Amino acid sequence: MTTTDKPTQENTLGSPSPDEPGAQTLTLSVGPQHSGSGHMRLIVELDGDIILNAEPDPGYVHRGIEKIIELRNIIRSIPVIERPSIIDASNLNHAWVRAIEELQGVEPPARGQYLRCLLNEMNRIMSHLYWLSIYGVFLGHTTMFMWPLGDRELFIDLAESLTGARITYSYLVPGGVRRDLPQGFAEEAIKRTEYFEKRLDEYENIFFKNPLFTSRAKGVGVLSRQRAIELGATGPTLRGSGVEADLRKDEPYAAYGELDFKVHTRPDGDSYSRVMVHVDEMRESSQLIRQMLKKLPSGPVRRKAPIVVPRGEAYSRVESARGECSFYMIGEGGDKPYRARYITGSYRNMAAISAVLQGVRLADMPTSWWSIDYWPVEADR
Amino acid sequence: MSLSHEREDNLIKSLRENFPTDIKDATTVRRSRINITVSPDKIVNVALFIRDKLGFDHPTGVSAVDYNRESRFEIVYHLTSIAKSDQRDILLNLKESVPRNTPKTTSLVKVWPGVENFERESIEMFGLQFEGHPKPEKLFLNDNWDGPPPMRKEVRFPTD
Amino acid sequence: MSAQKPAQSDDPIELLADSMNVWVGKLSDLVHKVVDTEPIRNVINWARMYSLWPVNITTACCSAEFGAASGARHDLERFGVLPYGSLRQSDLIVIEGTITKKMAKRLRMIYDQMAIPRYVIAMGDCAISGGLFHDSYSIVNGAHEFLPVDVFVPGCPPRPEALEHGIIMLQEKIRSSKVYPQS
Repeated sequence: MTTTDKPTQENTLGSPSPDEPGAQTLTLSVGPQHSGSGHMRLIVELDGDIILNAEPDPGYVHRGIEKIIELRNIIRSIPVIERPSIIDASNLNHAWVRAIEELQGVEPPARGQYLRCLLNEMNRIMSHLYWLSIYGVFLGHTTMFMWPLGDRELFIDLAESLTGARITYSYLVPGGVRRDLPQGFAEEAIKRTEYFEKRLDEYENIFFKNPLFTSRAKGVGVLSRQRAIELGATGPTLRGSGVEADLRKDEPYAAYGELDFKVHTRPDGDSYSRVMVHVDEMRESSQLIRQMLKKLPSGPVRRKAPIVVPRGEAYSRVESARGECSFYMIGEGGDKPYRARYITGSYRNMAAISAVLQGVRLADMPTSWWSIDYWPVEADR
Repeated sequence: MSLSHEREDNLIKSLRENFPTDIKDATTVRRSRINITVSPDKIVNVALFIRDKLGFDHPTGVSAVDYNRESRFEIVYHLTSIAKSDQRDILLNLKESVPRNTPKTTSLVKVWPGVENFERESIEMFGLQFEGHPKPEKLFLNDNWDGPPPMRKEVRFPTD
Repeated sequence: MSAQKPAQSDDPIELLADSMNVWVGKLSDLVHKVVDTEPIRNVINWARMYSLWPVNITTACCSAEFGAASGARHDLERFGVLPYGSLRQSDLIVIEGTITKKMAKRLRMIYDQMAIPRYVIAMGDCAISGGLFHDSYSIVNGAHEFLPVDVFVPGCPPRPEALEHGIIMLQEKIRSSKVYPQS
């Protein structure tokens, strides 16, 4: 099944086209109380069952975080900036502490950098597994809902033994990380990642090579390469349209400059490509965790850093699970930033929603829309 | 990976050659970070040049900052480059300042379509006006929000 | 028996209808009293508490732990909790996380559309008191400001075990409540 930019007019039942007199389009409101919408609303204009125009209506989870972080000091703001993408908290935390460290001129010790990347990669796997399980809810595939959530608990246990919390870690602070690895962590993590890669092979057969899934996802919701670039898309949405852009390779930060990994892209730009980019990234992250545990240097994990935001401006960029997360921080001395602009991956991908959904059938809407991994809480902040 | 600023300095040189009088300020802050400041009436031409000739086609975001002690707002466009693979890490900040009592400037949606949502957020959060913006409506705030623009510095909300 | 006649009327059918109204009302009171006694009340409460079907609405970030609680390791379905799409056939609404003013209006609309009996669980610190974002300009400080809450589950976010404890508390509350408490 192919989709073009304009909806195809299949006039087999004699239905009127929108140009004929007396014809009307139907405007539907999908969400927020809907099993296929998440915490936002989509205003969908339909001709028959083909979507002419789909506009997102965000703001249902807008908590005014940018105003809150101007009122609290930089350590008390860490839980606040972690909450937008709670399943991917340490990547957002990493962007925050990098902005502060750039202004202060502090560089964490090497072991601290590796532990930061370790938690980031575990978070990437956890976030992609949660995304995959909600994809199962949207498709009506109950096994795709249960299996990823069960395998996600493997990594939640590891993170809990490392940081003390299941999903909201607050583990990265300016100057390093809060604690070192517990005893026996490395062996347990290596066992779990090897088991997880075997599970990913099982996922291939039952989820991704399944003709029921491929017929629903291939060729549906196409985002062309040119459109993805000019709309500012980022993360797996951009890489699924054939653009090889990953901040861990383009502007290596923390320990990524010393690690060996591939950036996965797919050329077609449809929902299936984006899903497979996510799966390839999970496999790559699992291999990265083992690599980091082997190469882990010794030494302290934290350097002393004052609770102050010096005068100046800094822009930090981190590759989170959904794309680039960045802070544009302006300091004026004192312990609070003067302005901390927070741009997340989902906020940038919001622009791609209408482009992806144009010309898609209403029944395919959850499949295509969730494949860009738009997390409404992260976009609204 | 060398730490020289050669690519960044070449970009600034090419910009200054083409717009000898319009660029108020152009600096290489550090490796991979460039700041360009122009005045609001010249920004569209500079933006088109940056997109087409310098290859910065990927908009990363738009920020608005309230410098209330200097009575101005500063609007910063953050841009990166996908077209040229040797400058993938460079982030270019294109800045413009508007006075606080008449915060009006031209929208750059025609240059980079991806800045639409960011400009829309700045309209509702700071009370700015972008001429030519296709949809200057509320994005995140409540439909019947009747308070002041929340992100302005003098606006404080009572804490419970 | 004293039926109240607002005005004297000569129409015999109207007189008959008025007195039948009173008898049907008394019969309904009798049925309520009979049903609300021990054996029948226990059966009805047993059916209600072991099939609490929540509405498909996610409020904010606690939805990640609600999702994890419904998943493979902490299975909520063994308590009878199964998210259901239709509002009129659900009986539970779980307020997961921060309530913005924009979402509060819709939550109240959803609660009003649900059929009685309906229960509310406020999950997370933000739904109890505003939590981490208590000084934000766009949120409502707690679900109890506009909804009658049955169980509060604290935590930021609460662990799945805490949510299960909250559901068990709600089940205990239903077990010991009347069949017709709400009108």
